[in-house]
Amino acid sequence: MIHMKNVSKVYPNGTEALKNVSIDIDRGEFVFVVGSSGAGKSTFLKLLFHEEKATFGKIMVNGYDLTKIKKRQVPYLRRTMGIVFQDFRLIEKMTVYDNIAFAMRAIGAPERLVRKRVRYAIAAVGLEGKEKRRPGELSGGEQQRVSLARALVNKPEIIIADEPTGNIDPKMSFELMQRLVEINKRGTTVIIVTHELELVHSFGGRVIQLDNGGVVDDRVLPPTIDYEAAAESSASESSAAGQTKEFERLSGKTDTADDNQKEG
Amino acid sequence: MKFNSSGYLVKEGFKNIWNNRMMSFASLIVLVSCLVITGAAILISVNVTTLISGIGDDNQINVFLDYEMSDIDSIKLGAAIKKINNVDECTYYPKDEAIKEYKTRLGNLYDSLQGEKNPLGNAYKVCLKDLSDYKQTIQEIEAIEGVYTVSDRGDIARTLTKLNYFVAIVGFWVVLILGVVTLFIISNTIKMTMYSRRFEISIMKSVGATNTFIRIPFIVEAMTIGLAAGFIASAFLIAAYNPVIETAGKMITLIRTSTIPLSSIWLNIVLGFSGAGILIGASGGYISISKYLRREGGEIIGW
Repeated sequence: MIHMKNVSKVYPNGTEALKNVSIDIDRGEFVFVVGSSGAGKSTFLKLLFHEEKATFGKIMVNGYDLTKIKKRQVPYLRRTMGIVFQDFRLIEKMTVYDNIAFAMRAIGAPERLVRKRVRYAIAAVGLEGKEKRRPGELSGGEQQRVSLARALVNKPEIIIADEPTGNIDPKMSFELMQRLVEINKRGTTVIIVTHELELVHSFGGRVIQLDNGGVVDDRVLPPTIDYEAAAESSASESSAAGQTKEFERLSGKTDTADDNQKEG
Repeated sequence: MKFNSSGYLVKEGFKNIWNNRMMSFASLIVLVSCLVITGAAILISVNVTTLISGIGDDNQINVFLDYEMSDIDSIKLGAAIKKINNVDECTYYPKDEAIKEYKTRLGNLYDSLQGEKNPLGNAYKVCLKDLSDYKQTIQEIEAIEGVYTVSDRGDIARTLTKLNYFVAIVGFWVVLILGVVTLFIISNTIKMTMYSRRFEISIMKSVGATNTFIRIPFIVEAMTIGLAAGFIASAFLIAAYNPVIETAGKMITLIRTSTIPLSSIWLNIVLGFSGAGILIGASGGYISISKYLRREGGEIIGW
């Protein structure tokens, strides 16, 4: 799925963003990539998306050899991956439906398939009934779910979430993480780039830690909360609200988020 | 690009025009101006060329006789002209008939210029057999005693040739300069649309849209502006063609008879201008979007 061997990236200004990094991520894994600012996380993502080329080393992503890939093949490489951005990156003038459909239309999918898949993606992230809303009319968590639906709609092999909880409150973070776990359980590889160690410890999984451009740790951590049980036990409390309460209790997070966005 | 995407892409192109309507309108105006000037230069040149060739093919010359020459002497002189080998026909054109041609222009003066007071002389309309001996024949006629002058239409041809050359040179530079300006304006319009949509473009790139797919709506936008400009410019030229010819014909009689009739060129004007508009639009759009995608547009902003 992803194979990086002795990869280094040196930018033209001399910054060595990644140093001799070797990472293998297999199909179906749930991986956190953590590190502080400047650790090399962004460069790691740019290399996966072939927005930057590695200076040294070999990268294979979903069968594409990124050291030899032709320019015209890059869009097809990107179609095998779905991205969830920290700041959602939704188009304000488009409805929820159109934002999600945009990802399919942009690659020339027939409208019949767009209708079918967008419905599925909306259901997968629990946004039924909000198809006609615009991003500004949704809460941060809902916007992030739209972003997730857009990442899912083209059936990617890998979902990459770049600081997905960075702009949403703990309630929504918990819910989003749960959805990512569900997606992973259905076979999609999930890579979450984050610096929120609390979140990582709560959900557990494989954690690759980058620091100063190198991999300093790569291990599997057990979850510190039983999020499945939490989700089940709070199901009677009208879903997300109960789940997040449990999440907050277990993770020690308090609901101090000043989520300025309107609740949908 | 799949066929089923074409409707979506064309729709996006039209949306771009509306969202960026001020710049689209500016491009349209500049493009229309460029096409009208280009078209005017081309039409003048084509008509002048037709006039010149008409004069070249015209084997008739006018021989004006001395003013004092009597009618009898004039008729005798006609016999001398007919004796020249290259003369095919020689028709007498008395001054009384000649003055009638000026009746409208002379108005009240016409009556006072009859008979003895007629300021014109008698003339002959001479048709030549072979135009290649044109100059020599004219010299022979001029040598006959009593011939005042021979209308040498070669002078008009030379003047028109100079005019044609001038129109071609000036037209070339005007078209070149306006063409560059138009391409610049069109590509700037597209650039503005692109910048206003760079966020969408970055999302398109992140989900795996090909550059061709990203380009198409912008090219559709530019081509539509070009096509509209082509139509407007051709409508303008078609509307102005006959009035201009008529006005010019009042000054030079030859223009009235020897220019190309509108009915035989209007379709060429419409097709030519629409094609030119589309071509300029497509080139401007393509250059602009390709440059953008090569530089800034290659990045998925926000990492």
